[in-house]
Formats: sequence, structure tokens, C-alpha cells
Amino acid sequence: MARVVFSTWRGEFIDNRGKPEEEWVESEYKLPERYEADRDAKAFIGWDGFAVFDESIDVVRLGTEYAHTYQKYSEACGRCAPGRWGGRILYDLMDKIARGEGEVSDLEHLKEVSRTMMETSKCEIGRTVPKPLLDMMEHYHDTFMDLIENKKKSPDYDKEDISYIAKVTAPCMDACPTHVDIPAYIEGVRDLRYDDSLKATRKSMPLAHTCGRVCPHPCEDECRRANLDEPISIMELKRIGADYETDRGFEWLHPEEPAKEKTDKRVAIVGAGPAGLTAAYYLGVRGIQCDVYEELPVLGGEVAVGVPQYRMPIEKYNKDIELAKSVGTNFIMNTKVDAEMLRKFDKEYDATLLAFGTRLSKKVRAKNERDDMPGYWGAINFLDCVNLWVKYGIPIPQEVREQQMLDKEYVDLTGKTVVCVGGGFTSMDVVRCSIRCNADKVIMLYRRDEKTIIRNTTYEEYHEAVEEGVEFIFHSAVEEIIEDENGRLKALKVNRFELVPDPGGGRPQLVKIEGADFEIECDYLIPAVSQAADLGLLPEEWELELTSWGTLKTNGRDYMTSRKGLFAAGDCEYGPMTIVNAVGQARRAASVISRFVHTGEITLTDEEIMEDHLRRLRVYDKKEKVTGWLPGLPRQVSEKLGVDERKYNNREVNLGFTQEEAIAEAERCMRCYYIAMTAV
Amino acid sequence: MITLTIDGRKVEAKKGETILQAARRAGLYIPTMCYLTKVKPIASCRLCVVEVEGADGFILSCQAPALDGMEVRTNSPELFSHRQNIMKLYDVNHPLECGVCDKSGACDLQNKTLEFGVDTQEFSARDHKRDLRKWQFIGYDESLCILCEKCVHVCNEVIGDDAIEIHYGGYNSRIQPKGTEELECTNCGECIAVCPVGAMISTDFQYKANAWELEKIPATCAHCSAGCALNYERKYEGALEKNEPKIYRVTNEFEFSTLCGAGRFGYDFENRVAGRDEAAFKKALEAFRKADTIRFTSRITNEEAMILQRLKEKYGYRLVNKDAGNYRKFLEAYATMSGKSLFNGSLESLADADGIIVLGTRILTDNPAVRYHITMASKRHNARVVYMHPMEDEEMKNVVTQFVKYEVGTEEGVLALLAKTMLEGKIDVKKIEGFLKDLDEGYLSAESNVGEEELEAVKTSLARCRRIALVVGEDCINHPRATQIARLAALFERFGGISVLPVAPKTNSLGVALICDLDDESEGYTIGYNTPGDFVLSSLGEGDLDMPALNQQEGTFTTLNKRVVPTNVALPFKGYVLNDIANALGVEAEFTIDYTERLPKEKGFEAVRFDDIPYYFSNSEGEVRGYELRRLKHGVDSSLEDIAELPEFNGPILYRCDPVLQFGPQTYRASQLEGEEPVLYGAQQFAVAAKLQEGMRVRVNVGGVEMERVFKIDPTLKGTIALNPTFDLGLSEDLLSSNYRYSQSKIEVVGQANE
Repeated sequence: MARVVFSTWRGEFIDNRGKPEEEWVESEYKLPERYEADRDAKAFIGWDGFAVFDESIDVVRLGTEYAHTYQKYSEACGRCAPGRWGGRILYDLMDKIARGEGEVSDLEHLKEVSRTMMETSKCEIGRTVPKPLLDMMEHYHDTFMDLIENKKKSPDYDKEDISYIAKVTAPCMDACPTHVDIPAYIEGVRDLRYDDSLKATRKSMPLAHTCGRVCPHPCEDECRRANLDEPISIMELKRIGADYETDRGFEWLHPEEPAKEKTDKRVAIVGAGPAGLTAAYYLGVRGIQCDVYEELPVLGGEVAVGVPQYRMPIEKYNKDIELAKSVGTNFIMNTKVDAEMLRKFDKEYDATLLAFGTRLSKKVRAKNERDDMPGYWGAINFLDCVNLWVKYGIPIPQEVREQQMLDKEYVDLTGKTVVCVGGGFTSMDVVRCSIRCNADKVIMLYRRDEKTIIRNTTYEEYHEAVEEGVEFIFHSAVEEIIEDENGRLKALKVNRFELVPDPGGGRPQLVKIEGADFEIECDYLIPAVSQAADLGLLPEEWELELTSWGTLKTNGRDYMTSRKGLFAAGDCEYGPMTIVNAVGQARRAASVISRFVHTGEITLTDEEIMEDHLRRLRVYDKKEKVTGWLPGLPRQVSEKLGVDERKYNNREVNLGFTQEEAIAEAERCMRCYYIAMTAV
Repeated sequence: MITLTIDGRKVEAKKGETILQAARRAGLYIPTMCYLTKVKPIASCRLCVVEVEGADGFILSCQAPALDGMEVRTNSPELFSHRQNIMKLYDVNHPLECGVCDKSGACDLQNKTLEFGVDTQEFSARDHKRDLRKWQFIGYDESLCILCEKCVHVCNEVIGDDAIEIHYGGYNSRIQPKGTEELECTNCGECIAVCPVGAMISTDFQYKANAWELEKIPATCAHCSAGCALNYERKYEGALEKNEPKIYRVTNEFEFSTLCGAGRFGYDFENRVAGRDEAAFKKALEAFRKADTIRFTSRITNEEAMILQRLKEKYGYRLVNKDAGNYRKFLEAYATMSGKSLFNGSLESLADADGIIVLGTRILTDNPAVRYHITMASKRHNARVVYMHPMEDEEMKNVVTQFVKYEVGTEEGVLALLAKTMLEGKIDVKKIEGFLKDLDEGYLSAESNVGEEELEAVKTSLARCRRIALVVGEDCINHPRATQIARLAALFERFGGISVLPVAPKTNSLGVALICDLDDESEGYTIGYNTPGDFVLSSLGEGDLDMPALNQQEGTFTTLNKRVVPTNVALPFKGYVLNDIANALGVEAEFTIDYTERLPKEKGFEAVRFDDIPYYFSNSEGEVRGYELRRLKHGVDSSLEDIAELPEFNGPILYRCDPVLQFGPQTYRASQLEGEEPVLYGAQQFAVAAKLQEGMRVRVNVGGVEMERVFKIDPTLKGTIALNPTFDLGLSEDLLSSNYRYSQSKIEVVGQANE
């Protein structure tokens, strides 16, 4: 909801002009009426209309600036005839009217050019920029005519105290936690300019190999193409540029040339996972020296030791890691940061970023659940053991071998039954790794149903697990862990539940089915319900604010903790979440830090402020009707290894698109770029 | 096939074709400004929008696929008005300088402005200063540019230089060199060819002639074995040149075919003579009467080769052509292993490949057309490209996925190792299976420097490829062990399902190899045709009797693509031609082209008259030029020799290799290319090994031919091999053309470059 004087946003029509305030109708959209805490916005204009918050705003100037923006800011533009010239003419004509030299015929020309732009432009910018201008000409007709007939300059024409702050976005970009310029990297594929594609990705996503493989792609849920047929396979197209660089052994394709000389500013980063790598890259590019401290003997965090080889080959991930190294990042491995070190960092570095993730496996809350019980094996440790061996040849530590009764230096589950409790990506990794470790039987217990597990992971992930022989038992939970006479885990007592609809119309409830309990004999129980942050390293006297779920608290915009100069990003801030979420947070944090180390102030750029406003407003409109595109073109599906080819090895399952498939998929992309602008 | 309706007409389309492609094949017109047939749709002009039943809004026909049962309307008042508006926008601020624009009369903007009746300027925009850029062969006038992007696409997608890009910025968008201040590219000039307006121009042609004054002579490029299609564009100059036409430029049918810079800029290599030199002709006949040998090059037509063969049959001459001779032996050895008279590879199969191995050629300069087809495979199919050569080529880096360096001279060993890697397990002939099994890999790897890991990487990278091509270059064809190498190469075709393309070294090497019964060495009195001899027939104007150059002749060439393609007379030749000599010697035919239909059918040629050979381009068939040789059955012999001891080359080595745009004395005669200085390019390491410094003038002796070169250091090169050109050697060039390309020659410093 927003208080507006006037709005045509997203099809609404609100005109409070000249009405007493108590009769004002509010907009039902979260329009940015307040730009920053202490700055009110005067108006907002975008692809879907415009809204006026301050009646004194000069709409003709607003429209002129909007048309100008199309020329000035938009790198995306210049790619089609109607957009390139039409956009210029829109601006020239608007400006002519605004400076008091307009003619009535100019309005007709504006409408004519707008019509062709809206029908034929290549991307949505060209198709949508005329929309709010036409709205203006219609609803502020008298204002226009006044300027034209009296050859009058528009009131704000020469004023310089109003800022017109513009931002290019797209539904997919808006949905992506790190706001990757998706239409640009897809266009790179479509145009067979794979270097441009990769550079576009890296503007806001340095882990192109990784997020071209294992991203849960929230962007695809907000892809406008879905309004027409099926969403674009956005994630997989990211691989094309990354593989292009790697396959041809190019030097790093940086979106902007890294600073040649380092500044004297230094930043400590705790954790070399996706968040740490991302921050190190974007700080390094800006000439800030980063020391990254990593507890593990390898770099990459959970993507290295959590995500299995068959989903994310380490050779590819190493390329992303090398990119972060290429900007002069210093990595210090095998070093667990503690409170004492943090205190030191506080003195020695200009800022510190905590990005240590969530590496404690949460319990399933069953009776007799003990960490030290042989056979009870936390998902994080289990995956560490599997991945360190598979990817790096690092054997299992002696103490783990002893506790888990392993006679080999790697995880060999021959003859064993494994039960995993979970339902998210981590649990999928556990069960599919167990299959690859040759387990006799692998069972996944999940409290909810099949539909939910697919929603929480992906359709492919679930079906591939089923194909590989994982047995899923839905609506079930462990009540008690049963041990044998030696104190080893022997069996589980499992309850069954059913979904009972709420007669009141609320959410259906899971209700235990009495008498349906059963026992499973097994060798291992691997809880993979969730993970928590290990906060032992935080100096107590800092009294850092935490969230109710035990992570570091920030405002979610600048990622500074309650202590000045101490930042947090990724899972240790948000709780266990996706790679792309960690990247997005770390990229923003790096941007804030890059200014903080020089000025001591916490600031966001206008680009970032607009990014946040647009996310609140939502760019994607599920109900919008798409025109100008041929519907019914199927989404391309990449080839996967057959179940027998993949089941007992760690070969990458998803073979990726062939170039033909990639190009065909890229051609489905509708380039839904939009421009939004706020007058402040 | 699927069926759709376009403007009420039933049209058939192949699956995957776009609406525009289907319409064009059916002869239905949809206007475009940015569409270029040979690249992916650019989609910038938006003129090709159409209406599709059931779809809301207008659909872009260049990009939208044709679907079964679809109903398309290509025109309506509303579509016309949008297209007209787009043309009005295109015309905004476009300079009205058609009178002095190179493109005038052949300009898409003019044509479409007319077509859509844009007779007034309703829209205007404030303009700003726009640059005029001028590079060596290519100029760019930003104010004329309509940003269709064709040049950028062709440069990246077909050529592979990726040398230009769009500087984005709405109305301020422009084309600029990519990553460099000035244009750095191989100067193919395709950007000029595809430009629909006068923005990308030939700096040489600028202000020389109007498009409508020029007469197009469709012909075949005479510089290399790709035999690309081109038009010589000529004009009569009135009294000044005694009504002799002159070639003003070369153009190509860029929608369907591609041309390199040598073809485009090296066109005026004709041999102008005042008239028939009867005395010289008499001497020539005398020479033929006493000659034992006719030695010639492969820069002749099939028909001339046929005349020489007839003369041999009648007079028992020895026919010597070194490069064709080697190629012929290579092909014969190949055929005994493959079981077919000709190899299976082609340029098309190369462009379609998803895995390519290039062995024994510096392909970027050796044969630009082959390189373009590799580029297309790389860009469109993400082809893995394994480039095996003693020298890395910096300019091939954006397509090569694996460079395998081997030691000079070890091509036989390398190919044997490759055969073992790629073919083991696929061979059902015991002898060959045994041969591969018994290979002494340790020795071959050690001597060739190609390790097991590298071969394993080749195998892995090609494992998923379904269409693999092997390109075998001149280093193999002119290798002392060429016949064995040929037989090894044939294994890939026979057992690997791999298309093999041995790149014919010279323009018509394949034609000569098939038509002439060649002898190895000259004996006795020798007539040299474009090569030194006791009596010299020369189209270079430096012999005893002048002969026409290839732009003054009609006839056919046989390209590396196994096609027989026609070429036509662009400029008249007033002297005697080979057929005149033959007629005087009793080998009679009215015209040279009477031999076209007599080319040997047992070699795969067809009995088709010159005038009946097709040469046209169409939307439904693309380039239709010449005919393809038939591949005939051939007797098989599955034996292979043991691998010979691999040679060792130590110290500084010279590699015979012309720079891009030069292919020998013909290109060097052309006015735009004659200024090029022959430079010996080597790495710093070579300079140290050969005790040379940048800028020294050196004398080298290769195979008995002495030449002087300026030495320059090329920082992109590595190792102790230098690139030594031979394009400036005139007739003597032929003496080296069949040698193994690497040599260890004496290099003597004779001074400094500016001396």
C-alpha cells in the first residue's frame, strides 16, 4: 500500500488530485513513496505506469527525464531500430515540449512513435518506455497543452535540486538474490558472443560455473516467459559462458578491469565459501586487499565439501575459486578463527566480514539422540568425509573412523542400511552419496509429502534419487533411536502421520496415526533436517545482536552487524539458504565495505536503494498478458546421464545443453528489461 | 516436413526453420534490414514482423520457428504502417550524401525508403559529432551506420576474428574495434561486404565508381584451393585505357558465401599484353617441339591441365607438377586404405562438426575458408577443436580448446598415436588392429613430445562428439612419409566415421592430381609454365611467352571441397593461350572450355559442358556452383608400414608460411597487396637461437632458393621456429612449394632493415 496523489501503476487508476486528504484512495502496490529514511520520493515512473506522491511534481519534466534515461543509462538499449531512434525521438519531443517550444503536432508524433515502439521493439524497454508517457499525455493533457499553447517552460525544467534516479531491471533480475543481468548473459548466448555472456554474469555473480549448475534458480519462478508457455532455462544457460572461457583457456574475462594497484585498505574475511569468495572478488577488483581465513584444508566452503561431485564437479568450482584468487586474494587455510583472532582482526583490518556459514547439523529431536552414538552421523560431517575423499583424496579423520566403525579410509557403505531424515538439498546429497558409497539400502524419512519435497528441492533431484534406488517414506518421523548392547545405533522407531484438513479452512495439520508406528533396522541415521551457525568464535564482550534463529543480525540491506566495521553475509547471517543468496548478500556487503573502508560511513548506492525498492514492489507480474511472442515453444531440456551410467560413480549427471539447445533456449528469452525511475 | 500457410499459400518447411526462411524458400517476400542468411538472426531491424493466427501482437519472423499448421500473414495495413514508421526512424539524420556514397544504387536503406514511400522527414533528432575511422583496407563512417549489426555478427560467427563490437548506448551506439584502439584483424573485408549501407567501406574503392557503372563477372577466386565464389566488378574506362576494362573491386554473394581478404583485395593480378607476340609464339612452338618435360604449377584451370595431359599423350612429355604430384600420391595412398577414390570430408561437414582435429597446418593463413568453417563449428556447435602443430597460433585461440604441440617432423608418429587413441577397439581388421597394438608408444611419445595425458585429454574432450572432422594440412602432404601418413589418415574415415579433409595445397592441386598423369622429376629440355625452365610461359609477365592470368581465363577449378567450379573472363587477354599452342601442335579444340566436358570420368568428373555448369545463388538452395566429383570405389590394401624413425630438428627452423592475404606471386602482384614486405617472423627465443635482432636484414637459402628478409620478433610466437614467407619469389616460389615446409637453413645477416 502506498499513499499517492495519482497512479496508473499496473492498471490501477487513482486520481486524488484536488480531493481532500481524507477521501484519498491508496495504491495497492508497495510503491517507493519514501526513498530513504529521511528522503521522501516525489514520484515514481516505470514500465507499467507512473505514480505521483507529491502534487508539486512537474510531470512533463518527469516524463522527459524518463525518456532521457532510456538514452543515457540503459546499456541494454541500442539493439533495435525502433528503440534506438524511437527512444531518441521520444526524448527530443518531450524535451521540446518541456522547454516551451512544443507544437500540438508533437503530441501526435509522440503517440505515433510510441505505437511503433510498443509493437515492434526488441526488448521490453522499448515496448514499455512509451507507456507512462502516454498515460501522462492522457491524464495530464491540460498540463501539456498549457505548455504548448503558451510556449511555456515546464516549472522544473531548469531546477537542479530534484534527483531523477533510474534503474534498469527485469523480472528475473529482480527475483535473483544477486540480481544477475540475466537478459544480457542470455543475449550473449543468443548472439554467439559467449565472452560477453560471461562478463554479464560476472557483473554480479562471480561463481558462474557453480550457479550455472547448482542454483535453485528463483529467477525461473519469476520468468515472464512462463506467462506465455514455460520459463526459460535460465540457470543452465549460465554455464555456456563459463565453459567457453574454461575450455579455451582464456585469461579471466572480468566485467571490469581489476584495479592495477592495491589500496592500503585491508579486509579480513572469515570463511572461503560462496559468500567469502564473492566478497573477496568484488573487494579485490576494487583494489582492496583481502585475507580469507578458512578452517578446512580446502577452499570453497559447503559447495566444496557439501555439494557432491556428481552435481558440482570440483574442477569447475576450482575455476570460480581461481577467479577470486586472480584479483590478489590471500587465502589462509587450516585456520579456525576464534574470538582472540577476531579481536585482532578488529584492530588490524579496516573491516571484517563473517561468512562462516552454518556447519552444525541440527538434531531430529528423537528420544535417545546422542551425538556420540556410533551410527549417528551428522549430515555435514558425513558429506565432509565423502567429498574430501572424492574430490581431494583426503582420508577420513581417525576419530570419525572409530566412531562410525569404518574400516577404510573413505566412506564405504557396502552392506549397510542408511536412514536419512530431511527433505532439503542437503538430505538429497546425503542419500545420493550413500548410493554412490555402495550402501545396501538407503531410506529417506520426510515429515511431509512428495509435492513438498519437490518444491523444497527440484523435480530432477527427487526423481534422480528415486531412479538411483532411494526409498522415500513420506509423512514419517523418528520417535526414538534404539541402540544395541554395545551402545551402537541399531534401529529407529518411526511414527507415521496423516494430513488432516482443518475444518476451519486453515492449513491442514499433520496428525500422528495411532498404531501405525514401525521400526527400521539400520546402521546409520544421518540427520539432515537443518544446520545451525557455530557462534563460538564471537567475542562475548561484543554482545553481537543475533536473530531468533541463532544467526548474526543485520538490517538485511548493508549487512553490518551491531558492531561497526563487522559485517556478516551468507548462511551465518541468513540461516541455511542457497548459494545465490550468499552471493547476493556478500556482493552487497562488499560494495558497502568498499566505501566504508575509505569513508568510515555505511552507505548504499542509488542503484542498491532502487534494487531494494523494486524487490519490495515486485517486478514480475504473474497475471500480465504477454504479446508479440509466439507461444508454445517448449523449454529445452539438457541431457542427463542414465541411471546405470551414474549410479556408482561421481560423473557429472547433468551434461548441460548442447550449443544448439542453448541457442534455441536463448532465443526464447524475451529480454524483459524495464526502466524504473524515482524522483526525489 | 511441416506445412504452414503464409498469405494463404501452403508452404513446406523443415523442422527448425524460421518463418522467414520458410517464406523465402517459397519465394514469398518479407522485408528485412538486418537479416543475414549465413548468421544467426540478429533481430535488430524489426521490419520482418508478421501476424500469426492465434498469437497476440506481431511476431518476429526471422527468429520465430515455423510450426505445423501455422497461419501467417506477412502484410496488412497495420504492418505496413509499422514498417513505414521503422523506415522513417532509420532515415532520421541519415546523411543525404547518396551522390558520393559507395553504396548508392545498391543500398538497402535507399531501397527500403523507396519501398515504404518515406518521402518526408516527420521525425528528427538532435545529432552529435560522429567519427570517420580509417584503417588499412577498411573504413567506417559512423554517421551512415544503421547499427544492423551484420558486420559484428559475421566477424565473430563466420570469420572468427571477433575484432569489432557494438558500443552500446541507445542513439549513441556505434561499431568499434573490440578490445583495441585501432582495428586489428585478418582484413577479410566481410564487414564491408555485408554492410547494407555505405558505413563499412573499402578505403581503396571509395569514390572510384558508382555501383551501377560496374559490371559483375561471376568467377572463382584463384588464390587457394577453397575456390570461393566472387564477382570481379569491372568497368570500361573509355578512351583513356583504349576501352580496356579494369577491375575496380571484388564482391561476393555474402548472404551465402564468404570471401577472405586475398580474394577481396588481391584481384588485379592480370597480365596485360599489347597483342599477339608472333615471334615469341613461334619460339614457344619450337620449344615444345624439342621439349622433354613440361613443368607447371597448380594455378591453372582443369582445362589447361587437360590440354597438358593430351600433349603428354601425343608427344610423351614428362609432366611435372610438384605440389599436385605430392597431393596425388597422398590421395592415392589414402584411397587404398579408405576404399574410395576421394576423401569423405568437406567444408560443410567441417562447419557441422562438433569435434575437430587440425593436424599439420597453420590453417588461419594456409586456407582461410577452412578456418571460417572451423569458426562456424566452434560458435554454433561449441565444437571441441584440437589443434596439433609445432607452433601455437594466437589468432586461433578463441576456437581452439586444446593445443597439442609436437616436434617438427614427427607428423607420422603423432597421427599413429592419435589413431591408436581414437580408433582402438573400433577396428575389425586384424592387421591394422595389430599395427596399432604394436605401436611403440613410449618411443613415439618421447620423440614427438605428445604425451599419454594429452592424448587422453583429446579422447575425453571428443568423447561426446557425434560429428568429428579431421583436417590434414600441407605439413603432412609434403612430408617425406606422406603416403604412410595418408594411409593413417584414411583409418579415421574408414573406421572412425570421421570426416577427413586433406587441404589441397594450391588452387587447383586436386584438379591437376586427378587429370594429369604426373612424373616425378624433370628431364632434359624443360618448358616451365609459371615456373622456371628452359623456356618459360608466364602469366606473371616475366617469361618467354606471356600467358593469361587466372582472372583472364575461363574454365574450371577443382576445389578442396571436391567440387568442379567455373570461373569466367574478367579481363581480356590479347596474347596467346595454351590452347593456341596445343592447336598448333595438333591437339585441337576451338576453345579451352571445350575440354570441360572431356575431363576424366573415371576420376569422378562429369561430362558436362562448361556453359551448363550451374553458378547461381537462391533462397531455397543457397550457393549452387559447379558440381561435386563422384567418389568411386577403390581397391583396398590394409597394410601399413612400420613407423619410420622420427626425425630430429634442432636449432633454428624456418617454416614456409605466407602471411594472411598472400598466397604467392599472384596476390603479390595485386595493387593493394604488392606493398607488403616479406618479413621473417620469429619468437624472441628464435632470435636468440639464430643470433638475430629485431630489424636485421637477413639472407636465407631454402632448398637452393636465396631470399632476403627483414627479421622481426613476434611476441605471440614461441620456440625456435620462424615463419618464412615465399610470396615474393615470383616464378621461383614453385621450386619450394612441394618441399617439407620446415627447413634448417643458413641465416646470414646482411644489414639492417632500413639499409
